[in-house]
Amino acid sequence: MSNKFIGKSVKRVEDKRFITGRGRYTDDIVLPGMTYAYILRSPYAHARIKSIDTSAAEAMEGVVTIMTGEEVGHYGVPCGWQVNFKNGDTMKEPPHPLLVKDKVRHVGDAVAMVVAESRELAQDAAEAIIIDYEVLPAVIDASKAVEEGAPLVHEDVPNNICFDWEIGNPKEEVDAAMASASHITTLEFVNQRLAPNAMEPRSYIGQYDSVYDKYTLYTSTQNPHLIRLLMCAFVLGLPEHKVRVVGPDVGGGFGSKIYHYTEEALVTLASKKIGRPVKWTETRSEAFLTDAHGRDHVTKAEMGFDADGKIVGLRIKTFANLGAYLSTFSTAVPTYLHGTLLQGLYTTPKIHLDMTCVFTNTTAVDAYRGAGRPEATYLLERLLDLSALEMGVDPTELRLKNFIPAFDGVTQPGYQTNVALQYDSGNYHGVLQRGLEMLGYEDFRKAQAEAATTNKLLGVGFSTYIEACGIAPSAVVGSLGARAGLYEVGQVRVQPTGKVSVFTGAHSHGQGHETTFAQVVADRLGIPMEDVDIVHGDSDTVAFGMGTYGSRSLAVGGSAIVKSLDKIIEKGAKIAAHKLECSVDDIEFIDGKFTVKGTDKSLGFGDIALTAYVPHVYPANLEPGLDFSSFYDPTNFTYPFGCHIAVVEVDKETGTTKIKRFIAVDDVGNVINPMIVDGQIHGGLAQGIGQALFEGVEYDENGQIINASYMDYTMPRADDFPMFELDRQVTPCPHNPLGVKGAGEAGCIGSTPAVTNAVIDALWSVGHKVKDIRMPLTSERVWRAMQS
Amino acid sequence: MELTGTHTLPAPAQKIWDMLMTPDILAKVTPGISRLELENEGVYKAVAEVKIGPVSGKFEGKAMVENPVAPESFTLKVLQNSKIGNVAADIHMKLKAISDSETELSFEGKADMSGLLARTGNRVMSGVANTLTKQFFKNFEDELAAQ
Repeated sequence: MSNKFIGKSVKRVEDKRFITGRGRYTDDIVLPGMTYAYILRSPYAHARIKSIDTSAAEAMEGVVTIMTGEEVGHYGVPCGWQVNFKNGDTMKEPPHPLLVKDKVRHVGDAVAMVVAESRELAQDAAEAIIIDYEVLPAVIDASKAVEEGAPLVHEDVPNNICFDWEIGNPKEEVDAAMASASHITTLEFVNQRLAPNAMEPRSYIGQYDSVYDKYTLYTSTQNPHLIRLLMCAFVLGLPEHKVRVVGPDVGGGFGSKIYHYTEEALVTLASKKIGRPVKWTETRSEAFLTDAHGRDHVTKAEMGFDADGKIVGLRIKTFANLGAYLSTFSTAVPTYLHGTLLQGLYTTPKIHLDMTCVFTNTTAVDAYRGAGRPEATYLLERLLDLSALEMGVDPTELRLKNFIPAFDGVTQPGYQTNVALQYDSGNYHGVLQRGLEMLGYEDFRKAQAEAATTNKLLGVGFSTYIEACGIAPSAVVGSLGARAGLYEVGQVRVQPTGKVSVFTGAHSHGQGHETTFAQVVADRLGIPMEDVDIVHGDSDTVAFGMGTYGSRSLAVGGSAIVKSLDKIIEKGAKIAAHKLECSVDDIEFIDGKFTVKGTDKSLGFGDIALTAYVPHVYPANLEPGLDFSSFYDPTNFTYPFGCHIAVVEVDKETGTTKIKRFIAVDDVGNVINPMIVDGQIHGGLAQGIGQALFEGVEYDENGQIINASYMDYTMPRADDFPMFELDRQVTPCPHNPLGVKGAGEAGCIGSTPAVTNAVIDALWSVGHKVKDIRMPLTSERVWRAMQS
Repeated sequence: MELTGTHTLPAPAQKIWDMLMTPDILAKVTPGISRLELENEGVYKAVAEVKIGPVSGKFEGKAMVENPVAPESFTLKVLQNSKIGNVAADIHMKLKAISDSETELSFEGKADMSGLLARTGNRVMSGVANTLTKQFFKNFEDELAAQ
C-alpha cells in the first residue's frame, strides 16, 4: 500500500488520445472488403405492411444484399428483466423482431436493411424499396393507451398493459394513514420523455471469418460481454466461444448503449451471409428515433402530514410508457429502480406505489442516466417543497423534521425502508446543513422578498436525494426478476518485469476508468501509475464482465480488482518469505516492498514478479506466475445521497428562467479522483437541469416526433448554467473494500426537482399559487402559469 | 400542420373554377408542382419538387378533387410520397363571388406529415406553408393577367 494517488486529482490518462483526436471509435474502424448497411425505417407510428417490393433496389448499382422481415423476422431481441403482474401472471412480452414483417409499431421501426459497397449506394437503394402501408391510428400517451377502445400496439396485449405492479405497504394501510392526515398535498404531473443524445451515434460492424468460423462484432456499447451473451444465447443461437464482441472507445452512453439493439444482430447475420464485414452507423436523426428514450411517467402522487408536519403516508399512481417494444432493462426501470427509492431520505411510515407499464406507438423507453431514480426523486422532492408552501412552513425545516437520523452502517445498522431496500450508511442532515451554509439561506430569503417587488423574481428550490447504485447483488436482483447476475470481474496480470495489466469487465465510455482504476492499482501495489494498463471492452481479452451503468464501475468493478490485488499481494508475500527465509506472517507490504517486519531486509515488487515467472528459488507447492482473476458480487446496493439547491431568477414579463446559482453537496462515499467526480457531477447536473428547463421529446397525435433534430430538440449549453458550486461530504460505504458509492448519476438524479421547485417558489413569492408547471419549463409555460 | 389562406382574385368565380379544374394551369400556379396528369374523374397523378430549408425532395402521389360544387367549393385531397417523408393533406377550397369580376378564393385544412418532413419541425414547415400560399396566389394572378 502507498498513498500517492487515491484521493488526488490525477489528470486523465485517456485524454491524451481523446483531445488529440486519436480515439478509436467503431465508425473509425475500416476493415478490408467492408460493406455498408442502411436501414429502411417506417415513416409511420402504426401501420400494417401490405407489401414490400425490393426488386428495383436489388438491381441497383453496388447493392450486395437486401434483408427483410421475411428472411430474419423470426429472430428477435429479448427483455432482460421479468416483472410479473400483481396477480402473479407473467408480464406480456411481445416479440421484438430484427426486421418487421407485418406491422410497424413506431416511427423508425426497422423494415429492411440494404447492404452495399458504400453508405450512399445503400441509402439510394433503400429509397427504391416500395412498401405499401395501411396507416392505423396510433396511441402515444401511456395513460390514454389503457383506455377501452385505444388502438392496440400488439393485438395480443389487452389494453396495451405490459404489466401492473405495486410496492410498499398494503394499500389499505396507506389509505388509513392518509385518512388520518391533517394535510394532504396532491400533485399530478408528467415526467417527460427525454432523448439520450450520446455524442457518438450508435455504430456496429459485423465481421465473419470463415477460416476460423468466428464472428467479431464491434459495437458502441456499455457492456460487450452482455451483448455477446444476449446475442448468442437469446437471439441468433451462436456458440459464445465463436463470437468476439469488442466495445472500443465509446463516445457516451448515458444508459442508451446498455441494451442489445436489433442492428447488432443484423450486421452479424449479414456478414455471415455475404462473407464480408458489414458496418452500420446511425444518423443523428435515427438516434432520436431508435436510441432508447428515458423517463415518460404520468403520475398522481399524494403525501399526507400530521399536524406537526411529520409525513404519515405516500400514495402514488403512475403510468409508465415503455414504448412499442421491450428494451433490455425497460421493465426494471419503472419498478425496481424506481419504486424502491420512494422512501427517499424520510421516515415515511406508509408508502404505496401502484404502477402500470404500458405499450404505445413510440420509441422504446429504458434506463437513461439515473433510470427510475430521477423519477422517484422528482416525485418526492416536488412534494416536499410544494407541501411546505401549502402548509406555510419552511421547506428545509420540513425536511429536517422528517429525515432518517444519521447511521454509519458499521456500529449502527442499515436503515430498512418500506420499499424493500436497506440503506447502507447515511448522514442526511449533514448535506442539507452544508448546502444551507453555502447558500446563505437567511440572506437569500431577504433578497427574495426585495425581488418580489421587481420584475425579476427570485426563487429557491431544494432537493435532498438518495439513489441506489453499485448495481447489484445478484441474488437480490435475481429474486426480483433479473435474467442476469450483476457482479463484476477484475483480473490483475503482473508481467514478469513487474508491469501490470488489469482486465476489467467494466466499460469506460467517458468515465475515466483508465485513470481511476490505475490510481487504485498503483497505490495498492506501491508502483507508478505508468506501470499499470487498464484493459477493457474486448470479450477475447477480458474474461467476463457486466459492463458499466448504474454508477457501478468503481463500487463493483473496482472491488473485483481489489480482490485480485489482495490475492497478488498474498502470493507475493509467500514468495518473499521464501526468498527472505522468514515466515509469511513476518512479511509486510508497504510502498511496493515486501519487508521483514522490524528489519531493513526487503524485496521490491518487481523482484517478486520476476521470481514468480522465473521460479528457480521458489516455495514448494506454490504455482509459478502472478495473475489472478476475481468475481465480486456486492452484498448490497450503495446509497449515495446529497443536497442540491437551485436559485433561479424568473422574468415576470417574459417567464424566462435563469439559473443564478446551483449548489450541490454530494456524498458519494470515498473519492478516488476528486476531479473526475466533479466532472461526473457537472455532466449530471447539465442533464438534470436540461430536463427541467430545456429538453423533451415531443410527439404529435400521429406519433411523429416533431423535434427529432438539433434544430428543435433543445440541448443545454454551457452559457445556460452558472459556475456550479460543489462540495462533498464523505460517508464511506460500509460493505465494499474501497468504501465508494458511485457518482455517475448523482447530478442527474438530484438536480431536476431543485430547478422546478425554485421556479414554483419564485411564483409563490408574488402570490401565484401554482402547483406544477410541465417540464421543460419554457418561458411560455412559466409565463402562462403566472397568468392563471 | 394547419393550412389557411384567403385572397381576392380579379376574375369571375366561374373562370377561377375552370382554371382550378385545368390540370396544366393548376400545375403551373401551384408552387413546387411540376406535373399533374388526369388519371380518372377528379383524380390526378401529381409530381412535385419541394425544397424546404435543409430538406428537399421529389414527391409523387395523387391529388383528388372531391365533392365539387361548381363554382363554389371542393375538397382537395393530396397524398404525396417521397424519400424524405409523406404528406396527407385535406384542404377545403371555397370560391365566393365578390362582384362580377372579383372572387375571393379561400382554403382551410390540415396536412399530416411523416418521416424527415415531420421531424424537421412544424415551426419551419408553417413558415414554408405561408410562403407557398403567397406564391400560389401570386402565380394565379400572373396567370390571369397572361390570359
